Amino acid sequence: MNWLNILQDLFWSGVVAVGFAVLFNVPRKTLIACFICGALGHALRTLLMQLGVTIAPATLAGAALVGLLSDYFARRLETPSLVFGICGAIAMVPGSFAYRAMLGLIRIATSAPATTEPILMETAVNFINTGLILAAIALGITMPMLLFRRRKPVV
Amino acid sequence: MDQEAVIEKPPLDHETLRDVIDLSLWAGQMLLQHGADTDRVESVVHLIGTSLGAAWLDILVSPNALIVTTISGDEFRTKVRRVVTLGVNLSIVCAINDLAYRISWGEVDRVEARAELLRISAVRSNYNRWVVVGMVGLACASLSRLFGADLGVFAVTFLSSAAAMFVRQEMSRRHINAFMIVVVTAFVAGAGASTATLFQLSPNPQIALAASVLLLVPGVHLINSLRDMINGHMVTGLVRGFTGAVISMCIALGLLLAMQLLGVSGL
Repeated sequence: MNWLNILQDLFWSGVVAVGFAVLFNVPRKTLIACFICGALGHALRTLLMQLGVTIAPATLAGAALVGLLSDYFARRLETPSLVFGICGAIAMVPGSFAYRAMLGLIRIATSAPATTEPILMETAVNFINTGLILAAIALGITMPMLLFRRRKPVV
Repeated sequence: MDQEAVIEKPPLDHETLRDVIDLSLWAGQMLLQHGADTDRVESVVHLIGTSLGAAWLDILVSPNALIVTTISGDEFRTKVRRVVTLGVNLSIVCAINDLAYRISWGEVDRVEARAELLRISAVRSNYNRWVVVGMVGLACASLSRLFGADLGVFAVTFLSSAAAMFVRQEMSRRHINAFMIVVVTAFVAGAGASTATLFQLSPNPQIALAASVLLLVPGVHLINSLRDMINGHMVTGLVRGFTGAVISMCIALGLLLAMQLLGVSGL
Protein backbone atom coordinates (compact mmCIF):
# COMPACT_ATOMS: atom_id res chain seq x y z
CA MET A 1 0.00 0.00 0.00
CA ASN A 2 1.31 3.41 -0.98
CA TRP A 3 0.36 5.88 1.74
CA LEU A 4 2.07 8.83 0.13
CA ASN A 5 -0.12 8.23 -2.87
CA ILE A 6 -3.25 8.32 -0.70
CA LEU A 7 -2.13 11.57 0.96
CA GLN A 8 -1.56 13.20 -2.41
CA ASP A 9 -4.93 11.89 -3.51
CA LEU A 10 -6.56 13.49 -0.46
CA PHE A 11 -5.04 16.84 -1.24
CA TRP A 12 -5.71 17.01 -4.98
CA SER A 13 -9.26 15.70 -4.81
CA GLY A 14 -10.01 18.25 -2.09
CA VAL A 15 -8.75 20.99 -4.38
CA VAL A 16 -10.96 19.65 -7.18
CA ALA A 17 -13.98 19.80 -4.88
CA VAL A 18 -13.26 23.40 -3.85
CA GLY A 19 -12.62 24.45 -7.46
CA PHE A 20 -15.97 23.14 -8.59
CA ALA A 21 -17.63 24.52 -5.46
CA VAL A 22 -16.47 27.99 -6.51
CA LEU A 23 -17.75 27.34 -10.05
CA PHE A 24 -21.14 26.35 -8.62
CA ASN A 25 -21.12 29.45 -6.43
CA VAL A 26 -21.64 27.76 -3.05
CA PRO A 27 -21.87 29.90 0.12
CA ARG A 28 -18.38 30.74 1.39
CA LYS A 29 -18.89 29.10 4.78
CA THR A 30 -19.25 25.68 3.12
CA LEU A 31 -15.92 25.63 1.26
CA ILE A 32 -13.94 23.81 3.94
CA ALA A 33 -16.64 21.18 4.29
CA CYS A 34 -16.62 20.73 0.51
CA PHE A 35 -12.86 20.17 0.65
CA ILE A 36 -13.25 17.50 3.35
CA CYS A 37 -16.09 15.70 1.52
CA GLY A 38 -14.24 15.66 -1.79
CA ALA A 39 -10.91 14.62 -0.27
CA LEU A 40 -12.17 11.78 1.93
CA GLY A 41 -14.59 10.39 -0.65
CA HIS A 42 -12.08 10.20 -3.46
CA ALA A 43 -9.27 8.96 -1.20
CA LEU A 44 -11.46 6.11 0.05
CA ARG A 45 -12.13 5.16 -3.55
CA THR A 46 -8.41 5.19 -4.37
CA LEU A 47 -7.62 3.18 -1.25
CA LEU A 48 -10.18 0.51 -2.14
CA MET A 49 -8.93 0.38 -5.71
CA GLN A 50 -5.39 -0.20 -4.44
CA LEU A 51 -6.78 -3.08 -2.39
CA GLY A 52 -8.12 -4.61 -5.59
CA VAL A 53 -11.75 -3.47 -5.69
CA THR A 54 -12.92 -2.46 -9.18
CA ILE A 55 -13.85 1.13 -9.88
CA ALA A 56 -17.66 0.97 -9.69
CA PRO A 57 -18.04 -0.58 -6.21
CA ALA A 58 -15.15 1.54 -4.95
CA THR A 59 -17.00 4.60 -6.19
CA LEU A 60 -20.14 3.43 -4.41
CA ALA A 61 -18.23 3.25 -1.14
CA GLY A 62 -16.57 6.62 -1.70
CA ALA A 63 -19.86 8.27 -2.61
CA ALA A 64 -21.58 6.72 0.41
CA LEU A 65 -18.90 8.30 2.61
CA VAL A 66 -19.53 11.63 0.85
CA GLY A 67 -23.24 11.13 1.50
CA LEU A 68 -22.75 10.49 5.21
CA LEU A 69 -20.37 13.45 5.57
CA SER A 70 -22.71 15.75 3.67
CA ASP A 71 -25.57 14.70 5.93
CA TYR A 72 -23.43 15.65 8.92
CA PHE A 73 -22.29 18.99 7.46
CA ALA A 74 -25.83 19.79 6.34
CA ARG A 75 -26.98 19.72 9.96
CA ARG A 76 -23.84 21.38 11.29
CA LEU A 77 -23.86 24.30 8.84
CA GLU A 78 -27.63 24.41 8.18
CA THR A 79 -27.14 24.08 4.46
CA PRO A 80 -28.90 21.64 2.13
CA SER A 81 -26.88 18.43 1.83
CA LEU A 82 -26.86 18.57 -1.96
CA VAL A 83 -24.16 21.26 -1.82
CA PHE A 84 -21.70 18.88 -0.18
CA GLY A 85 -22.94 15.87 -2.10
CA ILE A 86 -22.41 17.42 -5.52
CA CYS A 87 -19.11 19.15 -4.73
CA GLY A 88 -17.78 16.10 -2.92
CA ALA A 89 -18.67 13.70 -5.70
CA ILE A 90 -17.53 15.83 -8.62
CA ALA A 91 -13.96 14.50 -8.54
CA MET A 92 -15.37 10.98 -8.95
CA VAL A 93 -17.52 11.84 -11.98
CA PRO A 94 -16.17 9.61 -14.76
CA GLY A 95 -14.94 12.44 -16.97
CA SER A 96 -12.04 10.52 -18.44
CA PHE A 97 -14.17 7.44 -19.17
CA ALA A 98 -16.77 9.62 -20.87
CA TYR A 99 -13.96 11.35 -22.78
CA ARG A 100 -12.57 8.06 -24.04
CA ALA A 101 -16.06 6.78 -24.86
CA MET A 102 -16.86 9.85 -26.94
CA LEU A 103 -13.48 9.70 -28.66
CA GLY A 104 -14.16 6.04 -29.37
CA LEU A 105 -17.47 6.87 -31.02
CA ILE A 106 -15.74 9.23 -33.43
CA ARG A 107 -13.00 6.67 -34.11
CA ILE A 108 -15.62 4.04 -34.96
CA ALA A 109 -17.15 6.43 -37.46
CA THR A 110 -13.81 7.16 -39.14
CA SER A 111 -11.98 3.82 -38.89
CA ALA A 112 -11.55 1.26 -41.67
CA PRO A 113 -14.10 -1.59 -41.31
CA ALA A 114 -11.45 -4.22 -40.56
CA THR A 115 -10.13 -2.35 -37.51
CA THR A 116 -13.50 -1.33 -36.09
CA GLU A 117 -14.11 -4.30 -33.81
CA PRO A 118 -11.53 -3.65 -31.04
CA ILE A 119 -12.46 0.05 -30.99
CA LEU A 120 -16.12 -0.92 -30.69
CA MET A 121 -15.36 -3.16 -27.71
CA GLU A 122 -13.21 -0.56 -26.01
CA THR A 123 -15.86 2.13 -26.50
CA ALA A 124 -18.59 -0.12 -25.12
CA VAL A 125 -16.50 -0.85 -22.02
CA ASN A 126 -15.92 2.86 -21.49
CA PHE A 127 -19.63 3.61 -21.84
CA ILE A 128 -20.58 0.86 -19.41
CA ASN A 129 -18.06 2.13 -16.87
CA THR A 130 -19.33 5.69 -17.25
CA GLY A 131 -22.89 4.57 -16.56
CA LEU A 132 -21.98 2.30 -13.66
CA ILE A 133 -19.83 4.94 -11.96
CA LEU A 134 -22.55 7.56 -12.33
CA ALA A 135 -25.14 5.22 -10.86
CA ALA A 136 -22.76 4.43 -8.00
CA ILE A 137 -22.22 8.13 -7.27
CA ALA A 138 -25.93 8.95 -7.25
CA LEU A 139 -26.83 5.91 -5.17
CA GLY A 140 -23.96 6.59 -2.78
CA ILE A 141 -24.70 10.22 -2.05
CA THR A 142 -28.43 9.61 -1.61
CA MET A 143 -27.83 6.54 0.53
CA PRO A 144 -28.10 8.25 3.95
CA MET A 145 -31.40 9.77 2.88
CA LEU A 146 -32.71 6.47 1.59
CA LEU A 147 -31.66 4.71 4.79
CA PHE A 148 -32.41 7.18 7.57
CA ARG A 149 -35.12 9.49 6.23
CA ARG A 150 -37.77 7.14 5.02
CA ARG A 151 -40.52 9.67 5.56
CA LYS A 152 -43.88 9.60 3.89
CA PRO A 153 -43.85 11.41 0.55
CA VAL A 154 -45.17 14.94 1.01
CA VAL A 155 -46.52 15.43 -2.48
CA MET B 1 -52.45 12.44 2.04
CA ASP B 2 -54.37 13.20 5.17
CA GLN B 3 -57.72 14.58 4.02
CA GLU B 4 -58.91 15.46 7.56
CA ALA B 5 -56.03 17.85 8.16
CA VAL B 6 -56.66 19.53 4.82
CA ILE B 7 -60.24 20.46 5.62
CA GLU B 8 -59.32 21.90 9.01
CA LYS B 9 -57.28 24.83 7.68
CA PRO B 10 -59.24 28.09 7.31
CA PRO B 11 -59.92 28.88 3.65
CA LEU B 12 -57.90 31.70 2.10
CA ASP B 13 -59.54 34.50 0.15
CA HIS B 14 -59.10 34.95 -3.57
CA GLU B 15 -56.21 37.40 -3.47
CA THR B 16 -54.24 35.53 -0.82
CA LEU B 17 -54.49 32.20 -2.59
CA ARG B 18 -53.28 33.85 -5.75
CA ASP B 19 -50.29 35.21 -3.91
CA VAL B 20 -49.50 31.87 -2.29
CA ILE B 21 -49.39 30.00 -5.59
CA ASP B 22 -47.35 32.78 -7.17
CA LEU B 23 -44.71 32.75 -4.42
CA SER B 24 -44.36 28.99 -4.21
CA LEU B 25 -44.08 28.71 -8.00
CA TRP B 26 -41.43 31.41 -8.08
CA ALA B 27 -39.37 29.63 -5.45
CA GLY B 28 -39.74 26.33 -7.30
CA GLN B 29 -38.73 27.91 -10.58
CA MET B 30 -35.51 29.28 -9.10
CA LEU B 31 -34.66 25.91 -7.56
CA LEU B 32 -35.20 24.08 -10.83
CA GLN B 33 -33.18 26.66 -12.77
CA HIS B 34 -30.14 26.48 -10.57
CA GLY B 35 -29.52 22.79 -10.07
CA ALA B 36 -31.83 21.34 -7.40
CA ASP B 37 -33.10 17.80 -7.83
CA THR B 38 -36.79 17.10 -8.38
CA ASP B 39 -37.45 15.84 -4.86
CA ARG B 40 -36.15 19.06 -3.36
CA VAL B 41 -38.21 21.22 -5.72
CA GLU B 42 -41.35 19.31 -4.78
CA SER B 43 -40.80 19.39 -1.04
CA VAL B 44 -39.77 23.06 -0.87
CA VAL B 45 -42.70 24.23 -3.01
CA HIS B 46 -45.04 22.17 -0.88
CA LEU B 47 -43.58 23.53 2.35
CA ILE B 48 -43.83 27.16 1.24
CA GLY B 49 -47.40 26.79 -0.03
CA THR B 50 -48.76 25.02 3.01
CA SER B 51 -46.89 27.29 5.43
CA LEU B 52 -48.40 30.37 3.79
CA GLY B 53 -51.89 29.00 4.43
CA ALA B 54 -52.89 26.74 1.54
CA ALA B 55 -54.39 23.45 2.64
CA TRP B 56 -52.57 21.33 0.10
CA LEU B 57 -50.39 21.63 -2.98
CA ASP B 58 -50.06 19.24 -5.88
CA ILE B 59 -46.88 19.72 -7.85
CA LEU B 60 -45.78 18.43 -11.21
CA VAL B 61 -42.12 19.01 -12.01
CA SER B 62 -41.45 18.69 -15.70
CA PRO B 63 -37.99 19.26 -17.16
CA ASN B 64 -38.88 22.69 -18.50
CA ALA B 65 -42.02 23.70 -16.64
CA LEU B 66 -43.53 23.65 -13.19
CA ILE B 67 -47.24 23.08 -12.57
CA VAL B 68 -48.75 23.72 -9.17
CA THR B 69 -52.32 23.39 -7.93
CA THR B 70 -53.14 24.95 -4.57
CA ILE B 71 -56.18 23.87 -2.61
CA SER B 72 -57.81 25.92 0.11
CA GLY B 73 -61.29 25.34 1.40
CA ASP B 74 -63.52 24.79 -1.63
CA GLU B 75 -61.26 26.70 -3.97
CA PHE B 76 -58.38 25.52 -6.04
CA ARG B 77 -56.05 27.20 -8.44
CA THR B 78 -53.59 25.87 -10.98
CA LYS B 79 -50.73 27.73 -12.54
CA VAL B 80 -48.00 26.74 -14.97
CA ARG B 81 -44.62 28.37 -15.21
CA ARG B 82 -42.03 27.80 -17.88
CA VAL B 83 -38.57 27.13 -16.54
CA VAL B 84 -35.46 27.65 -18.59
CA THR B 85 -32.51 25.85 -17.06
CA LEU B 86 -29.60 28.15 -16.36
CA GLY B 87 -26.21 27.39 -14.90
CA VAL B 88 -25.76 25.76 -11.54
CA ASN B 89 -25.85 28.20 -8.64
CA LEU B 90 -25.97 26.42 -5.31
CA SER B 91 -26.12 29.65 -3.28
CA ILE B 92 -29.58 30.32 -4.67
CA VAL B 93 -30.66 26.75 -3.89
CA CYS B 94 -29.41 27.23 -0.31
CA ALA B 95 -31.10 30.60 0.07
CA ILE B 96 -34.48 29.32 -1.15
CA ASN B 97 -34.24 26.27 1.06
CA ASP B 98 -33.47 28.50 4.03
CA LEU B 99 -36.36 30.83 3.19
CA ALA B 100 -38.78 27.89 3.01
CA TYR B 101 -37.86 26.83 6.54
CA ARG B 102 -38.14 30.36 7.86
CA ILE B 103 -41.60 30.64 6.30
CA SER B 104 -42.61 27.35 7.89
CA TRP B 105 -41.49 28.54 11.33
CA GLY B 106 -43.64 31.64 10.89
CA GLU B 107 -40.67 34.04 10.85
CA VAL B 108 -41.49 35.35 7.38
CA ASP B 109 -44.94 36.34 6.11
CA ARG B 110 -46.20 36.67 2.55
CA VAL B 111 -45.04 40.23 1.96
CA GLU B 112 -41.59 39.60 3.38
CA ALA B 113 -41.32 36.37 1.42
CA ARG B 114 -41.87 38.26 -1.83
CA ALA B 115 -39.20 40.80 -0.94
CA GLU B 116 -36.84 38.01 0.05
CA LEU B 117 -37.37 36.12 -3.24
CA LEU B 118 -36.70 39.32 -5.16
CA ARG B 119 -33.48 39.80 -3.20
CA ILE B 120 -32.36 36.22 -3.85
CA SER B 121 -33.06 36.45 -7.58
CA ALA B 122 -31.00 39.64 -7.87
CA VAL B 123 -28.01 38.42 -5.88
CA ARG B 124 -24.67 38.38 -7.66
CA SER B 125 -21.93 35.78 -7.49
CA ASN B 126 -20.11 35.13 -4.21
CA TYR B 127 -16.76 35.05 -5.93
CA ASN B 128 -14.86 37.44 -8.12
CA ARG B 129 -14.85 36.19 -11.71
CA TRP B 130 -11.04 35.96 -11.75
CA VAL B 131 -11.15 33.83 -8.62
CA VAL B 132 -13.55 31.52 -10.47
CA VAL B 133 -11.22 31.40 -13.49
CA GLY B 134 -8.25 30.55 -11.28
CA MET B 135 -10.05 27.98 -9.15
CA VAL B 136 -11.54 26.19 -12.16
CA GLY B 137 -8.08 26.05 -13.73
CA LEU B 138 -6.72 24.66 -10.49
CA ALA B 139 -9.53 22.09 -10.23
CA CYS B 140 -8.86 20.73 -13.73
CA ALA B 141 -5.11 20.74 -13.10
CA SER B 142 -5.71 18.78 -9.86
CA LEU B 143 -7.78 16.28 -11.82
CA SER B 144 -4.85 15.86 -14.19
CA ARG B 145 -2.72 15.11 -11.12
CA LEU B 146 -5.22 12.44 -10.10
CA PHE B 147 -4.85 10.93 -13.58
CA GLY B 148 -1.09 10.82 -13.00
CA ALA B 149 0.16 13.97 -14.70
CA ASP B 150 3.62 15.44 -14.21
CA LEU B 151 4.41 19.11 -13.68
CA GLY B 152 4.40 20.05 -17.38
CA VAL B 153 0.93 18.63 -17.97
CA PHE B 154 -0.26 20.17 -14.71
CA ALA B 155 0.79 23.65 -15.88
CA VAL B 156 -0.63 23.23 -19.38
CA THR B 157 -3.95 21.96 -17.98
CA PHE B 158 -4.13 24.86 -15.56
CA LEU B 159 -3.55 27.47 -18.25
CA SER B 160 -5.79 25.95 -20.91
CA SER B 161 -8.77 25.30 -18.65
CA ALA B 162 -8.48 28.74 -17.06
CA ALA B 163 -8.46 30.28 -20.54
CA ALA B 164 -11.45 28.11 -21.47
CA MET B 165 -13.31 29.24 -18.36
CA PHE B 166 -12.66 32.86 -19.28
CA VAL B 167 -14.09 32.28 -22.76
CA ARG B 168 -17.08 30.52 -21.23
CA GLN B 169 -17.81 33.47 -18.93
CA GLU B 170 -17.56 35.94 -21.78
CA MET B 171 -19.90 33.88 -23.95
CA SER B 172 -22.52 33.27 -21.29
CA ARG B 173 -22.57 36.98 -20.53
CA ARG B 174 -23.61 37.49 -24.15
CA HIS B 175 -26.40 34.87 -23.85
CA ILE B 176 -25.09 32.58 -26.55
CA ASN B 177 -26.74 29.18 -26.90
CA ALA B 178 -25.58 26.87 -24.10
CA PHE B 179 -24.48 24.03 -26.39
CA MET B 180 -22.59 26.43 -28.62
CA ILE B 181 -20.75 27.71 -25.56
CA VAL B 182 -19.74 24.15 -24.70
CA VAL B 183 -18.38 23.47 -28.20
CA VAL B 184 -16.32 26.66 -28.31
CA THR B 185 -15.07 26.28 -24.73
CA ALA B 186 -14.00 22.68 -25.42
CA PHE B 187 -12.24 23.90 -28.56
CA VAL B 188 -10.27 26.48 -26.59
CA ALA B 189 -9.39 23.98 -23.87
CA GLY B 190 -8.40 21.37 -26.44
CA ALA B 191 -6.26 23.79 -28.42
CA GLY B 192 -4.51 24.88 -25.24
CA ALA B 193 -3.95 21.32 -24.06
CA SER B 194 -2.62 20.26 -27.47
CA THR B 195 0.48 22.35 -26.83
CA ALA B 196 1.60 19.68 -24.36
CA THR B 197 1.79 17.24 -27.28
CA LEU B 198 3.06 19.71 -29.85
CA PHE B 199 5.99 20.88 -27.76
CA GLN B 200 6.52 17.47 -26.14
CA LEU B 201 6.31 18.81 -22.62
CA SER B 202 5.74 15.41 -21.06
CA PRO B 203 5.98 11.66 -21.79
CA ASN B 204 2.18 11.33 -21.63
CA PRO B 205 0.74 14.65 -22.80
CA GLN B 206 -2.70 13.23 -23.69
CA ILE B 207 -3.70 13.55 -20.00
CA ALA B 208 -3.84 17.32 -20.54
CA LEU B 209 -6.44 16.83 -23.27
CA ALA B 210 -8.66 14.68 -21.08
CA ALA B 211 -8.34 16.88 -17.99
CA SER B 212 -8.62 20.37 -19.43
CA VAL B 213 -12.17 19.86 -20.75
CA LEU B 214 -13.44 18.54 -17.43
CA LEU B 215 -14.66 21.98 -16.40
CA LEU B 216 -17.47 21.37 -18.89
CA VAL B 217 -18.48 17.89 -17.74
CA PRO B 218 -22.17 18.08 -16.87
CA GLY B 219 -21.64 16.58 -13.42
CA VAL B 220 -24.67 18.19 -11.82
CA HIS B 221 -26.96 17.15 -14.68
CA LEU B 222 -25.73 13.58 -14.56
CA ILE B 223 -25.79 13.22 -10.77
CA ASN B 224 -29.24 14.81 -10.55
CA SER B 225 -30.42 12.60 -13.38
CA LEU B 226 -29.58 9.39 -11.56
CA ARG B 227 -30.79 10.85 -8.30
CA ASP B 228 -34.18 11.70 -9.79
CA MET B 229 -34.48 8.20 -11.19
CA ILE B 230 -33.65 6.66 -7.82
CA ASN B 231 -36.41 8.77 -6.30
CA GLY B 232 -38.86 7.69 -8.98
CA HIS B 233 -38.92 10.84 -11.12
CA MET B 234 -38.21 9.06 -14.37
CA VAL B 235 -39.14 11.82 -16.81
CA THR B 236 -36.97 14.55 -15.31
CA GLY B 237 -34.24 11.98 -14.74
CA LEU B 238 -34.22 10.86 -18.36
CA VAL B 239 -34.26 14.41 -19.71
CA ARG B 240 -31.40 15.47 -17.44
CA GLY B 241 -29.40 12.42 -18.42
CA PHE B 242 -29.98 13.11 -22.08
CA THR B 243 -29.02 16.76 -21.65
CA GLY B 244 -25.82 15.54 -20.04
CA ALA B 245 -25.17 13.21 -22.98
CA VAL B 246 -25.72 16.00 -25.51
CA ILE B 247 -23.35 18.26 -23.58
CA SER B 248 -20.75 15.47 -23.56
CA MET B 249 -21.14 15.15 -27.33
CA CYS B 250 -20.61 18.90 -27.70
CA ILE B 251 -17.44 18.62 -25.62
CA ALA B 252 -16.19 15.82 -27.87
CA LEU B 253 -16.97 17.85 -31.00
CA GLY B 254 -15.10 20.96 -29.87
CA LEU B 255 -12.18 18.95 -28.58
CA LEU B 256 -11.85 16.86 -31.74
CA LEU B 257 -12.00 19.92 -33.94
CA ALA B 258 -9.08 21.42 -32.02
CA MET B 259 -7.13 18.15 -32.06
CA GLN B 260 -7.58 17.51 -35.77
CA LEU B 261 -6.76 21.08 -36.77
CA LEU B 262 -3.54 20.87 -34.77
CA GLY B 263 -2.84 17.27 -35.82
CA VAL B 264 -2.76 15.87 -32.29
CA SER B 265 -3.88 12.38 -31.32
CA GLY B 266 -5.86 11.89 -28.13
CA LEU B 267 -4.81 8.42 -27.07
